[in-house]
Amino acid sequence: MLAATAGFINCVGGVNGDNPTEITRADVDTVVRTLLNNNAYTIMDNIEGEDKFGTAPVRDAYFALASTQLTGNLDNVAGFIHKNNYPSPMNALRSEWGSIGNLRFLVSSIGSMTPVSSALGADVYNIFCVGMEAYAAIEQDGYSAQFIYRPAIYDGPLALNASVGYKFAEVPRITNDLWVINLRASLN
Amino acid sequence: MADNTIVQSGTFISDGAARTLVLRSDIDWIQVFNETEATATNINRGYKYFWRRGLANGGGFVEYHPAADHTAAINVLAANTGISLIDSSTMVPGAAVAVTAGTNATQPVYSTAATGLLAAGAIARVVNTAHTNVNGLDFTVDTVVANTSFRLANALQQAPGLIAGANGFYRFIAPDIDTYKLFYPSKRVIGNITAANPGVVTTLVDHGLTTGQRVRLSVPGVCGMVQLDGREVNVTVLSASTFSIGVDTTAMTAFAFPLPASVPFTPAEMIPVGTRAGGPLADATINQGFIGVRLAAGVLSPAGSNNDVISWIAGKSFNL
Repeated sequence: MLAATAGFINCVGGVNGDNPTEITRADVDTVVRTLLNNNAYTIMDNIEGEDKFGTAPVRDAYFALASTQLTGNLDNVAGFIHKNNYPSPMNALRSEWGSIGNLRFLVSSIGSMTPVSSALGADVYNIFCVGMEAYAAIEQDGYSAQFIYRPAIYDGPLALNASVGYKFAEVPRITNDLWVINLRASLN
Repeated sequence: MADNTIVQSGTFISDGAARTLVLRSDIDWIQVFNETEATATNINRGYKYFWRRGLANGGGFVEYHPAADHTAAINVLAANTGISLIDSSTMVPGAAVAVTAGTNATQPVYSTAATGLLAAGAIARVVNTAHTNVNGLDFTVDTVVANTSFRLANALQQAPGLIAGANGFYRFIAPDIDTYKLFYPSKRVIGNITAANPGVVTTLVDHGLTTGQRVRLSVPGVCGMVQLDGREVNVTVLSASTFSIGVDTTAMTAFAFPLPASVPFTPAEMIPVGTRAGGPLADATINQGFIGVRLAAGVLSPAGSNNDVISWIAGKSFNL
């Protein structure tokens, strides 16, 4: 839903010669500035600096939902702070990779990717940068998903077959399109 | 094959164009009957078609009249002239096919030796051509000359800036906008915004909007007309690819589709807001995913010719 609908910004600060390029600090700053200009609230509070070697304070942040394929490129972005270098790693989420400026990157192996859609024909990764309450999954009828198993005796008069299935009653919605931006990046 | 496993059947009058049948569940086989040709005695016209899992997508078998009578013969359908199974939730781009040239026009014509599934209304993408400003952008195709060329349907504000040589590829993305994106309405890249009262927006892929829907325009500096950037507008649909925005753009900076020198850039976009005059969220993004089949059109193809009466049955439980 976000890939189909959210407005996008191409990464343009990289050097890989593609469109979009790999992610750079300038691209992160563009997204953060845009979200700030659109009055999006950050989701996470800042993490105060502490007197520990190798750590750095983490700014209050929007979430950036990305593919695990981007982790190598994220490591190379200026200002990247891996979650191990947070003053208090306990504040990092399990899926979190780190932060850049006012974005904290959550990665997933099923993160969004649009195949062969860069100018050079490379895969393009969609990094959904979202502010607070930018989108919602609205549950219908009081449940979000049901796994259903019907034993054979209930499934037919001859009790020959059992049935198994699932159903979802959940609708994703962008609540404010100004608060979600798809930052598109290729890999370096 | 047991035909007591039919999951759906139906009929339609052919309009001479390829047709997508939306099915209520997955299928393993389908038979299509051209009732008009079955009773006629036209030479080399197909009247019965069959496809099952295991056959090539876009293929199948055809039963036809080899002479101007009711004798019958069977043949294998040529590639892309038959039946294709579609799951719009898992559409992946087609294979890369070489592009041998591209014209420098507002509707560039790309030459290729294999147009494959491309037909008017299909969506394609070129990559790695000398048209670096068009590369990677999806666009609707309108004029397809079989195994020769295809044309970008919706005119850019200006030509790409140079003639593309024998470099690059195209990929078939989707047969139509119904199978293009899972969600409706969805964003579109903008190819042009006129300086007029009201201004008219042209999208590279047909927009699929209806009058009264509301969208936001994103116009980066590289595209000019930054006065519209972030502006929310009501849509009045003019055609499949154009809509007017109810805003006088005559005094604004002229819109410019970026030239290759501007690469990399973010193109101008139309972003659905998910709101229309009828009420908030009434038209927010709707999942339109479906399972179905695509029938190619033609005298030896299942969607038939104009005004042919077509019926079909589709089912499950075919053992490979």
